Amino acid sequence: MVEIVAQAVINGLLIGGIYALVSIGVTLIFGVVKIVNFAQGEFVMLGMYLSYFLATRLGVDPIVSLVVTMPVLFVAGVLIQHFLIRRVLGQNDLPQIFLTFALSLLIVNVSLMAFTANYRTVHTAYSDEALHFAGLYVPVAKLIAFAVAMALSGVLWAFLQATDLGKAMRAASQNREVAQLMGINPNRVFAVALGIALALAGAAGSLLMPFYSAYPMVGQVFVLMAFVAVVLGTLGNVVGALIASLLMGVAESLGIQFIGADSGLIVVFMLLLATLALRPRGLAAGVQR
Amino acid sequence: MADALVVSSLAKRFGGLQAVQDVSFTVREGETLALIGPNGAGKTTAFNLITGFYRPDAGSVRAFGAEMVGLRPYQVCARGLARTFQVAKPFGEMTVLDNVMTGAFLRDRAPAAARDKAREAIDFLGLSARERTTARDLTTIDQRRLEMARALATQPRVLLLDEVMAGLNAAEVDQAVLLVDKLAGRGLTIVIVEHLMRAVMAVAKHIVVLDHGQKIAEGAPGDVMANPEVIRAYLGSGYAR
Amino acid sequence: MAIPVRLGVAAAGTIVAAVLPLVVKSPFALDVLIRILLFAFIGTAWNLLGGYAKQFSLGHAAFFGLGAYTSTLLQIDLNVSPWIGMLAGGVVAAIASLPIGWLCFRLRGPYFTIATIATAQVLMLVFLKLRDFAWGAEGTTIPNLGNAPLMMQFEGKAAYYYVTLGLLVVALGITAWIERSRIGYYLVALGEEQDAAEAIGINVPQVKRRIFMISAFLTAMAGTFYVQYIYFIDPQTVFNFSVSIEAALVSIVGGVGLLFGPLVGAVLLETTSALLQSQLGSIAGVQLTVYSLILMAVILWRPTGILGYVGELVARRRAKRPER
Repeated sequence: MVEIVAQAVINGLLIGGIYALVSIGVTLIFGVVKIVNFAQGEFVMLGMYLSYFLATRLGVDPIVSLVVTMPVLFVAGVLIQHFLIRRVLGQNDLPQIFLTFALSLLIVNVSLMAFTANYRTVHTAYSDEALHFAGLYVPVAKLIAFAVAMALSGVLWAFLQATDLGKAMRAASQNREVAQLMGINPNRVFAVALGIALALAGAAGSLLMPFYSAYPMVGQVFVLMAFVAVVLGTLGNVVGALIASLLMGVAESLGIQFIGADSGLIVVFMLLLATLALRPRGLAAGVQR
Repeated sequence: MADALVVSSLAKRFGGLQAVQDVSFTVREGETLALIGPNGAGKTTAFNLITGFYRPDAGSVRAFGAEMVGLRPYQVCARGLARTFQVAKPFGEMTVLDNVMTGAFLRDRAPAAARDKAREAIDFLGLSARERTTARDLTTIDQRRLEMARALATQPRVLLLDEVMAGLNAAEVDQAVLLVDKLAGRGLTIVIVEHLMRAVMAVAKHIVVLDHGQKIAEGAPGDVMANPEVIRAYLGSGYAR
Repeated sequence: MAIPVRLGVAAAGTIVAAVLPLVVKSPFALDVLIRILLFAFIGTAWNLLGGYAKQFSLGHAAFFGLGAYTSTLLQIDLNVSPWIGMLAGGVVAAIASLPIGWLCFRLRGPYFTIATIATAQVLMLVFLKLRDFAWGAEGTTIPNLGNAPLMMQFEGKAAYYYVTLGLLVVALGITAWIERSRIGYYLVALGEEQDAAEAIGINVPQVKRRIFMISAFLTAMAGTFYVQYIYFIDPQTVFNFSVSIEAALVSIVGGVGLLFGPLVGAVLLETTSALLQSQLGSIAGVQLTVYSLILMAVILWRPTGILGYVGELVARRRAKRPER
């Protein structure tokens, strides 16, 4: 029994690392630019497809392809901020919600037309490998994904704490007007935030390919997980999002193990609804007083 | 004359910051009280505590004898305490008339009656010419007037004005002072948060000074202004002699 | 719009709409018209909450589905007429809107939207599992009774057209009445500045609850109609995210917070959808791609929607003419 639980916890933590990359991206954008990026999951999906094509056409290992997907998606983030997001900042909720929502819808459906709904997978040398210890089964691909995800999160955290640009981002997220008075260019800061967030999403996509299938709608699963993690982890708080993501991965995994194969999503939603019902004070911005 | 507003030992903490601590004062009916103090003294927080936007950690707020702590802002308003906001919050899409009507609806359900009451308030605040203007197109001072008219339309007994003079030029400040006088003339009890000293002196006979969340002085303008604690709070210890 | 102008438009529109089926006979065209009216109806219901009060729900499929399942269950299990089932579905949805609202309104802005998406998803997942009570993932067809008006089944499309027209007229009437009444002002106020609204005595939670109930009730009625129209129900169809999307989209494109906004939006979106369907067939992803481009264009260039933009043009013209 203990082994079953431990195994489920391990599985949950490993996938939770990926959720963390996605939810940290959402948190970063929400914290700095103050908008919710409904399309975040779609960039995970694009990262997956990019890795898929690099793997099948050029034989590049998906995890190695990080060095391509991350910069490409960083640039995408900067462009999206410059051409789209910038134009709706300062307006009320409607444009800010529905612009990224429209973007999400657009990307999913164009992908559907371009790639068809067929599942795409990449099989690597280590896709089927696993470590065995203490009676537990740890797939190598997932372990690498988790390790890289945590490493990237650590780098991001250090960046935010230690570098000037990182501090500028934190400043802009806390008080935009004052930050401007201090000479920080908000548009530049926002562009970097979008770029980083999308790069993280792309990284998540690359890391997923060895053990997960790509299809146009795949992003929606991850983004819903990400949103729940952001809400649970206190909106705008990067560390909170990370911890919440790991917890959610575990909760989903336990749900799948003990309730049923398709119950993962329900468990997560129940978590969200329970949090809303019982702990609204724990949720910072965006919540009724 | 009754006690319109009795604030006792009000306290509020936000994380590591004690925003308001042991603040008490009493406002008599029909009186105009000015709440002053340096930036960050806790004046707007006090307003938010009194009107139900924040819940105090300790203390009580009684308006004409009735306890306000624990009530939601709309209940506080229904019991006769109206407030304006430091940063004006007009209902931008609506006209001036519609904005004020929305306030009047508290006491008059029927649109026609609400409209009439709204017009009275608009007239009182000198906004009649702008009745049909969309609120977001108003000038700053007119937005302030709108805030006051809207609050007035709820037929309050106590009116809390949060920095209505901020950002106005000298002529506009004079107009604002006249308006506050006019409101007081109607028998309203007024609590005004203000930075501009000459405005404070012009409208208030009773002043409460806050600094770092605590009351450091209270009394008539002359006494308060000469109080060394007050001087120190505003200008630094070098000036308190 | 000024009242007399609006009444005139409504009267003219209703007359035209009433005689349309006498002129238009093609089943395809009637189907398009029915979809226009149906989504105008759902959009009008959404608009009350999302347009006026600016609480942007993307979870209205929850109520659509609840209405659909209520009437279908009553019909198949207890032989109750869908006309009654439609009202019962509305009641079920209105009641459901209380706990759903209680949870979702704890959040504001985009997080409210996310919470509504989650609720609709949860309901879909729940109904996918209810095999014994409600046919599970397979769903069910409703028995074809031929022409049975008392059971909301008709030969030919014209009658379905009139049912949706009737529903739309009711929804528009309710909206027009709300617009001019106290609750209408309260909706716009809380949508614009929630704190200021509370400060002038508006019981914001109660207003939100009430409008959510009305919106839910109406949306549920559409769900009943839809099942009767396509003779089929399953969770993926009636709790589908695209229902929620379209409910919001027709209002945003046509003009949020405006009486006829959803109708205008529905005309544009449904005819576009029908054209795409007839020219390109059913290629997955085409319709939503076009919808998303239209939505983006509206958000970036005309955020007040088609009618909103027209209103601005009219206001600008009027400002140039001296006041009479």
